[in-house]
Formats: sequence, structure tokens, C-alpha cells
Amino acid sequence: MVKSMTLTMNPALLENAKLANEPRWLSDLRQQAWQKIATLPMPIFAKINYHHWPLLDFASESVVNVTVPESVQSQLASYQFASVGQVVAKIALDEDLMAKGVILCDLQTAIRQHSDLVANYFFKQAIQFDENRLTAINAALVNGGAFLYVPANVEVTEPINLLQVQDSRQSTNFVNHTLIVAGANSRFKVLQRSQTVGEVANPAHTMVEIVAEAGSYVKFSALDSFAKQTHAYINRRGYLANDARIDWAVGVMNDGNTIADFDSNLVGNGSHTEMQTVAISTDQQTQGIDTQVTNYGRHSEGNILQRGILLGKSALVFNGIGKIIKGAHGAKAQQENRVLMLSPKARGDANPILLIDENDVIAGHAASVGRINQDQLYYLMSRGLTKEMAQRLVARGFLGVVLRDIPVAEVRSQLVDMIERKLANGQGTE
Amino acid sequence: MATLKVTDLHVSVTDEEAKTSKEILKGVNLTMNTGETHAIMGPNGTGKSTLSETIMGNPHYQVTQGNIMLDGVSLLGKTVDARARAGLFLAMQYPAEIKGITNMEFMRAAVNATRPADDPISVRAFLKELDKNLEVLNMSDDMAERYLNEGFSGGEKKRNEILQLMMIKPKFAILDEIDSGLDIDALQVVAKGVNQMQSPDFGVLMITHYQRLLNYIHPDQVHVMMGGRIVKTGDATLATELEAKGYAGLRDELGLDVDLVDEDVTTGNGGR
Repeated sequence: MVKSMTLTMNPALLENAKLANEPRWLSDLRQQAWQKIATLPMPIFAKINYHHWPLLDFASESVVNVTVPESVQSQLASYQFASVGQVVAKIALDEDLMAKGVILCDLQTAIRQHSDLVANYFFKQAIQFDENRLTAINAALVNGGAFLYVPANVEVTEPINLLQVQDSRQSTNFVNHTLIVAGANSRFKVLQRSQTVGEVANPAHTMVEIVAEAGSYVKFSALDSFAKQTHAYINRRGYLANDARIDWAVGVMNDGNTIADFDSNLVGNGSHTEMQTVAISTDQQTQGIDTQVTNYGRHSEGNILQRGILLGKSALVFNGIGKIIKGAHGAKAQQENRVLMLSPKARGDANPILLIDENDVIAGHAASVGRINQDQLYYLMSRGLTKEMAQRLVARGFLGVVLRDIPVAEVRSQLVDMIERKLANGQGTE
Repeated sequence: MATLKVTDLHVSVTDEEAKTSKEILKGVNLTMNTGETHAIMGPNGTGKSTLSETIMGNPHYQVTQGNIMLDGVSLLGKTVDARARAGLFLAMQYPAEIKGITNMEFMRAAVNATRPADDPISVRAFLKELDKNLEVLNMSDDMAERYLNEGFSGGEKKRNEILQLMMIKPKFAILDEIDSGLDIDALQVVAKGVNQMQSPDFGVLMITHYQRLLNYIHPDQVHVMMGGRIVKTGDATLATELEAKGYAGLRDELGLDVDLVDEDVTTGNGGR
């Protein structure tokens, strides 16, 4: 086995993570997961060596800071849910939606008020707690998150926006778990915005489970911008029942090292997912992003689109995994992974992996690692744009495919600003 | 008044694979002032596009001798973007397609490129100008929101080149075969756009194979190019004369030793 990181099994970690008045099922889950941590392997990210990262350097005394900083206060208007570390800064769901049975709350409230409901889904369908060491750590040490439940047949037109801030104003553990349940035939959009406040180096563990019941349609978008000193493990996964659909649009704009796993399990017949991810790696940063679609259901369809840009001496690896299980007749799995290199010293990789165990399926992939198109550059420059400006525009266009799927104009413009900032400053110093 | 002056221009292109270099332009002389309209005509493969791309600064072409000057300042050391900001514009034969960038944001960036960084054009002024020009060119509003040239038809691309010209307002515009692939109606629309630009502060150099374009945009001077040189200059009647005689006729009249690409086809003498 590869050299791997170990967690110091300090029982205080487990104790400190516990939420107030935890139901028995959650304490049991924590205990089971805790006992398995040492023996489970780390997850594999092909062509990324992250085993020396301080991903498991948790604080044995996790401090909670109850003040909500101004930089977060000023953003609150755009969100229905906001948290800073373990502190809930805002929950404001439309009364109309509450009347229809929609639930939006923090995890602590969820396990107290909706314990049975949460127990049905939490580490039950999308992600199993004992898949690897990092899933077990999340199950054992989870100390915050959100719960969104949209009952059957409810349609929500306005997007539901979640802001989840890692509080690094001090040494604090950030082990987040967000559970989204789409009842049968429900339809809604949800946005998850993750970021860091403060300068202290803490790891970030964040997990999202989306359970899409029959005929539901979830449009999920996310914009991640954890700080440079944050090492992040991100795991988002959808479980799709018959004819359910999840569209993902994720912008990975972290400044620090990241491993991310975005998966859709197409369990139901006729289920469908579109998974779009964009990422930029700058300076000395390393990011490994795996996107996987697993087709179990007949006539299920999954399409992966990953696009990334590299600057400086950074590394960015996209692994696209299309897996078709025996029995998934008529399944479709397509993927496209493209990486644009803006620096000769960067290391980019786009690996399509197809694992197919059924005959009557359609599967395909396209992958490229390339430099900027000189004809496009010349054309833009011939209109007076400087080379830097033209490069930024071509690069932004390259990532632009995901932009239009982010539902909140303000978050869209945040993503554009982040892309611009990274393109302008990301080459780093020699 | 501004002056664009090309003197004794020799240009080669290098074939990267074969590692050979071929001279295309063999001593071009041309002087044009703002307020004037020039046309360059010539047979295929004679260096017309090479001349326009070289003036604009396409790094693919190497100047081996001679000079290109704008108001007495040599452009040779300047990159394409610096030349554009100095007032040159090239309407290209094959504009690049760029997904993910809208026509509008590109044009705003281009308009702002020639303005001081602290004085960008206001959104309102830009949109007003854009609407006006879209109307002149019979272009629909959604052109502005579409990705730059992406999925545009041949005719839409040409119109879009002229739209950019009208928005950027350069001192000199070179129109490289703006008439190719346009039907008569579209040609008239494009000509209308160019003619609206006419002013004492604007000069046009049209590159074309056909006299037809000159019916809509009237040239002050017509230059005939053959074998990498300008071999004859005259007024608009020269174009009509050419249409009657053909390029081979003019070559023989001038006693030039130049091979014309399509000569053998018309005379039926077989390959060289």
C-alpha cells in the first residue's frame, strides 16, 4: 500500500465533533466510522500524490468563534442559508415554501427536529461511510452542514442558495456534510458557495449527498474558493432513482491544494446527469478532480464535461470515469476533459477512463491538453487587445461553458472575477 | 490627415515542415492617406492577402526588406495589437471563431483598448452606438449576445467584421476580400457600412478579385498586383479595363514575366 496519512486517534476529536442532543443512530454511526478509520484505505486519485498533505491535521481543541465577520455579513442578502464554521448566520426560507413542506436548516437542527427523515438518507444512499478513510472521517467527525428537503411534487422556481464558510480565524475543524433530498417529481435549483475566512491553516472536509427520488430534477451548482492555506477534500455525490435528473455545474476556484470527487450514481432506469466542472490551478497549487458517472439503470445517461486552466508551476489532473454496470441496457456515457496550459512549467492531465460491462450501450470520450489557439489570439490582438488581455478572454471563453449554468447573477460574476484574478496573478514568481 | 506608406516591401513565408522560405512580396510601394479609398486587384496567388496581413503584423510573415510607416513611424517592430491601437484595422477573410466570449464583450474590450484605462466607454454610449450600427448592417440584436463568430454563416462573419470596423473606428481599414461569399444584397449592406465610415479621417484599402465590389465602394485609386509587385496604378476605369482584358492581357501589354496560376486552365495547354 502507498505511504498514507494517518489520523492521530485522539478521542477528544470525536467528542468535540458531537452535536448537541445527538440521536442514537448518529452516535452509533460516528462510533462505527471512528473504529474503521485506521484500517480503511485513502481514496485513490490517479496521477495525484496527496499523501503528504496535512489533510488530517485536525485541532484537538476546536474553538468556536460566534461572531460573523463583516466579509460574510455583506454577502448574506444573496443566501437563504449561511454558516460560518459551526455557527449559523442565517436561515430564511420563503414562508410559502415552508407551507409546502420544504425544509432548510443546519445539520444540528435537522437531527433534532427531523431525526427520522435525516436518518433515512444520511450516509445511506449516495455515500457509504466506510468507502475509504476520508468518508469514515467525515462520518465520525462531522460538525456542521445543511439539510435541504423538498417534498414530492413540489416545484421551487427561485434557486435556494447556501453559503458555507470555513472559519479559519483560529484553529477550527471544518468537517461539513450537506444533505439534499429531492422528493419524487420535485424540481428545484440549489447553489452551494464555499469559502474561507481567516488566515489559519485548517483542512477542509466537505461532503454533499443529493438523493434524487423518482422523476425529480435538481440543478445543483457550486462555487468553491477555499483559501491558499486550506487543504481541501471535497466529495459530492448524487443518487438518482428512476427518471431522476441532476445537472451539476461546479467551479473549483480554491487557492489551496484540493482533491475532489464528484460522482453520480444512475441507479434508476432513465435517470440522467450532466456533470460540468471548471477549475483553475495557479502558482504552486495541486488539484486532482475525479468525476465519475456509474450507470446501473437501463437507458440511464451521464455526460461529463471538465475544463481546466493551469498557470505557474501548478498541477491539475482531471480523471473522468464512466462506468457501466452489467444490466444497464441502452445506457449512455459520454465525457469530455480539456485542459488549457498557460505556462510551460505547469503539469496538466486529462484522463478518460471507461469501464464498460454491458454490450448495447453508447460510450465515448474526448480529452485534450493544449496551449492557447494562436489564430484566436491573433484575431483578438488585431482589434487592439494586448496579448495578456486576449489570453484572458480566450481562457475565460474556454471556461465559459459552466458560467451560464450558475443561477445567481452575483455568484456568476464572483466566478468571473475569480477567473480574471487567477489569470492575472496566477503565474507566480520564479 | 494620416498617411500609411509602404516602401519596397519584400516579404517571405517560411514553411515550418519543409524548412524552406519563399518570397511572396518582391518590392511593393503604396502610399495612402486618410480620406482616400484604394483598391488592390490581382489574380490568385499574387500576394494580396500577404500584403494585408503583413501591414497588420501577422507574425507568420517575415519582412526581409523595405518598410511600413504610419505617419512617418515604422510599424515593423510593433506587434499586431500595437498596430491596431495605432489605427489599423484588418477585416479578415477567415475570422477566428471563439466560443464562450460574446460578440458584445469582445467589441467593448476592443473599443476600450484604444481608450485610456481610466476612461472606458460607458455601457449606455456603447449600446447606443452598437444599436445604430446593427441597424445599418441589417443585423439582429441577438448577434451581440452570440459567441464571437461561433456558428456564423460566411455572410454573417463578413457583416460582423464590418460591425467591428464601425465600432472601433480606425484610421485605416484593410478589407481583405470582404466581397467573397456575399450575395448582391449582402454586398450592398456591407458597402453601405463602409461608405458610412467615409470621412477625411478614414482611409480604406480594399483587396478584391472582382470589379463588382467597386460599383458599391468607389475607389480613388486602383492598383493591380502581379508577381508580388504593384504593376499598374490608375483610377476606377482601370478596374473596368481589367474586367475586359483579364490579368493575362494586362501582363502581356506591360511585357511582364509573371506566371499566373490559372493561365494554363484557360488556354488549355496542360500542366507545367
